[in-house]
Amino acid sequence: MSARKSPRQQQLEAALLYPVDWLDERTGLLGGLRYFLFRNVPRDTNWMQTLGAATLTAFLVQAITGVFLAMFYKPDPNSAYESIQHITNDVTFGWLVRGMHRWGASCFIILMFLHMGRVFLFGAYKYPRELTWIVGVLLLALGMIEGFTGYLLPWDETAYWATVVGINIQASGPFVGPFIGSILKGGAEIGPETLARFYSLHMLAIPGALIGLIGVHLYLVVRLGITSPPWSPVAAGRERDDEEAPPTGRVGLVSPAPRGSASQGVDE
Amino acid sequence: MSSLEKNRADHKRYKEDVKKEGKPFFPYALFHDSLMQLVVVGVIIALSVIWKFTAQHEGGGTHPGLLGPLYTEKADPGTVSFVPRPDWYFYFLFYLLRIFKWPDSVILGTVGIPTLLLVIAIALPFVDRRRERHPLRRPVAMITAVLVIVAMGTLTWKGAVAKEPIASEAGALVPMWAQKQGFKGNADAEAGAKLFSQSGCLNCHVYTGAGGQNLGAPELTAEGAKGRGIDWQIKHLQCPSCVNAGSPMPSFKTLGADNLKKLATFLEASKGPK
Repeated sequence: MSARKSPRQQQLEAALLYPVDWLDERTGLLGGLRYFLFRNVPRDTNWMQTLGAATLTAFLVQAITGVFLAMFYKPDPNSAYESIQHITNDVTFGWLVRGMHRWGASCFIILMFLHMGRVFLFGAYKYPRELTWIVGVLLLALGMIEGFTGYLLPWDETAYWATVVGINIQASGPFVGPFIGSILKGGAEIGPETLARFYSLHMLAIPGALIGLIGVHLYLVVRLGITSPPWSPVAAGRERDDEEAPPTGRVGLVSPAPRGSASQGVDE
Repeated sequence: MSSLEKNRADHKRYKEDVKKEGKPFFPYALFHDSLMQLVVVGVIIALSVIWKFTAQHEGGGTHPGLLGPLYTEKADPGTVSFVPRPDWYFYFLFYLLRIFKWPDSVILGTVGIPTLLLVIAIALPFVDRRRERHPLRRPVAMITAVLVIVAMGTLTWKGAVAKEPIASEAGALVPMWAQKQGFKGNADAEAGAKLFSQSGCLNCHVYTGAGGQNLGAPELTAEGAKGRGIDWQIKHLQCPSCVNAGSPMPSFKTLGADNLKKLATFLEASKGPK
């Protein structure tokens, strides 16, 4: 391969690859990345199975736009509303960043539900993916709490009264209900302390938990593999006991395919 | 073979199949994922643009466009003409509170059902342990899922189209209330009725057929017939959950002692139409 390369080319190649090799020697990340990218997935994956990636995208949009909003937002009842007006009306593309954060939240929630529906339809929560499902349910719950805490931040009438009632509902719960309610409020009335608490939860605690759980979720997805659509005649892991002949010509075409001839496997 | 052994054999076969017949994640699956990701970002940007440019064209961010206003008026804890409306993905819970009534069952709607849903969702893989994955051969799971979707969809829709009474319209009802309830001429009660109509009470409570039924709030048409007394009413308005543990109603202390007394007088004068 490298026989035809001049010494100069070889030198250049080595110089270019050096940082990559340096990093890989110390972290071993390259192997992980290679595994992640080139691992096999079932050849009959469905468009519905892109909903997880879609949900992750919506989350990343929230994370990125959130960082920019935090640069301009002031979590204080006297200036929160004005800073939102400032972001929306004055800051260059501030309206777009805030709009994306606002509508991204709705998209995130919708996509989580759709993704959950897909997993349910495919029976993909069954052995051995139970834990992936549970982490997903926790992500959904945390995502909705993230929505609830973010809703107060604009400090307008809608935000304020929705939160008053939301906290009261929380406080009506048995046992720990009143306790959580008063922690959220931070005082007798909903005011500066409440806003500070919601802000901290919304941009530190809950996103941190979300990122951690998303990491666990993705790790489990890669480790356990994604399911084939259960109705697929070529589903990975299908039972073959009572299978006399391959159902269709297409399967016959592909089944003896040697490893590596992946182009035949792309049949969506 | 035990079911666990069968499960393990299934997964082993799955891994072998994926290894033998699968396609590499890059570029095949990643290509579809990336297209979908572009669509998501595109939709989010499109929503933001529609939101911004339809809301603004009449000047001022509080003008609602196709997707709602950019912001409503600044929060003022002093005004209580509020509409207790959460973001849309809580509508199904919000509307649930019209079905459960204070005080008997409202806790079911506020805490019971959400907790139950969460527990069921987490327990699902341990409850449904069959190996079958094909939807058509899982009729119970599919029917349950459809029922849950229909129920949540209906509640969300009902929550979205639920109308809150408008304060000015409610104000016009005050003379009729005075007539029906027989407190005409009682200046304090009439002033209280006016406050009642303006302070957002009807967003949750029903009074002689007017008003919403949010948050499981009780009907107040015959509140005065319960014999609670003006002092109790004032205390309750100042801090509802101090008197009724677990009440989601906000405090109306900011109205001031005078106004609270008028409101209490009005409530006590409401004995129900004869």
